[in-house]
Amino acid sequence: MDQRPNPDPGSKLPRTNLLLGGLTIGFVALAALFAKDPWGHVAPPQNIPLVDAKFLETTPWRRTYTDMVKAKEDMSDYDCYGCHEKNKPPPIRYDAKGKIVIPKEHSNIVMGHGSHDRNDLCYNCHNEQNLVTLQVRDGRELKFDNIPPLCGSCHGPTYRDWENGAHGRTSGNWDFSKGESTRLSCANCHNPHAPRIPTREPAPGPHPMRSAEKTSALTPTHH
Amino acid sequence: MSPSPLPPDKTSDAAMSRRSFLRGTAAVGGLTALAASLAPLRELSDFTNTEQFLQKYYKELTPDDMAKVIKRIEGDVEKQYGVRPHVRDLKPMDGVEFVYCLNLTRCIGCRKCVHACVNENNQSRSPEIQYIRVLRLPHGSLDIEKAEHNYDSKQVPEKGFFYMPVQCQQCKNPPCVKVCPVHATWQETDGITVIDYDWCIGCRYCEAACPYWARRFNFTKPSIPKERLNTNMAYLGNRPRKQGVMEKCHFCIQRTRAGKYPACLEVCPVGARKFGNILDPNSEVSYILREKRVFIQLKEEMGTSPRFFYYFDK
Repeated sequence: MDQRPNPDPGSKLPRTNLLLGGLTIGFVALAALFAKDPWGHVAPPQNIPLVDAKFLETTPWRRTYTDMVKAKEDMSDYDCYGCHEKNKPPPIRYDAKGKIVIPKEHSNIVMGHGSHDRNDLCYNCHNEQNLVTLQVRDGRELKFDNIPPLCGSCHGPTYRDWENGAHGRTSGNWDFSKGESTRLSCANCHNPHAPRIPTREPAPGPHPMRSAEKTSALTPTHH
Repeated sequence: MSPSPLPPDKTSDAAMSRRSFLRGTAAVGGLTALAASLAPLRELSDFTNTEQFLQKYYKELTPDDMAKVIKRIEGDVEKQYGVRPHVRDLKPMDGVEFVYCLNLTRCIGCRKCVHACVNENNQSRSPEIQYIRVLRLPHGSLDIEKAEHNYDSKQVPEKGFFYMPVQCQQCKNPPCVKVCPVHATWQETDGITVIDYDWCIGCRYCEAACPYWARRFNFTKPSIPKERLNTNMAYLGNRPRKQGVMEKCHFCIQRTRAGKYPACLEVCPVGARKFGNILDPNSEVSYILREKRVFIQLKEEMGTSPRFFYYFDK
């Protein structure tokens, strides 16, 4: 006799087949969905523009007399006795309001040393006896390539901080045994005639994608 | 007459042809569909390979292992970016503990440090990952709740505000290290808290634990333009990361452990950033902590004891 259970078309066979068929349909559907990909791919990230290379510049803002000498640039601006007469200090003129009048030969100079107008006497720093040098109030005569002691004669604490590395820009090596370190001079950042650092354009902030949500600065957002 | 059972051979024949056909179709179709439905897994091959998958924990690597790992990383980077980088495993220096000082009187909020850092440390540009956030605060307050890091001014500094850049504070008591379930982040002897990017599982506990929001997560594969890739790399530093791992400021390990200043310091146009060895009494940072007015540490009450100090001139 046939030992095998009689295949019952009404129950057993369809159940297996239904299961397999169901699984197949399920997988086919999944495969189709993945192929079509309605959710699998994150929307392509916004193409955030690269930051302008000018914001990556490490070169100082200003060039000092020393830099110009090193680069062998045109130094005719510093040839004072090309125009001025020796042993004859040029006079300083003031207008009716007591503001200094900059002669047109020196119109590139903008005076703004200090928030008051009391420091607009050229000979506070320039040496009227010898225009190619600078003078400190205590009588020292300094060359144009060595101005920090001149600035320091008024800005003592800042000068001390600069000497110790707490003020001013440095670059190179923190570990002096491994290589050189450069400490910039006063005039690399400050215009001696108007030392306050001018305002400037900031580099772009965090991309709008995130800045759109106004977040408290130290509270992480979970995005 | 009762219907006689079908002859066994006929039954089996009929069953074979019908049942096996269905089964066979189901099996083949099912397997194919299963394979197809697993297709998204293929994308994983982009950032993982067997060698990387089987790689040991940083602290267990012998110098020989490390040499091999570095070769592997250099090869991977070259394959992806077309330039061969110089990857080093720089160790902490003896007698050195790094400290960072930032002069709040000088900072003008120009955000150059943010971008110099991205450029130096090979962060993803799109989506954007940045280690430094420059906070803008109104004068007369240090209330972080009043800070704004999305300021969009035409010119800086603005009247009535000061700026405070915040990055990883390299805490002496780092909460991020405590919560890491796999020890993928730890504090080195020179004070830098580092991450083994090949050991990180991406659970983001450290991100949640950090009170300074200093840790960043790679939600997608980072995108770095080839022409801006920095090829001077360190294993624990700026080598390219993969999707699903954490990263953060590491004081430019590839520079500072070679004696150089960090990138954010060198780019700062006003010299507000100072860096050095606190164990050297003649260093710039020692002078600052000794002589200047130091606003001790950010979120001091958290007890994290940061190695990042903010100070004032006036």
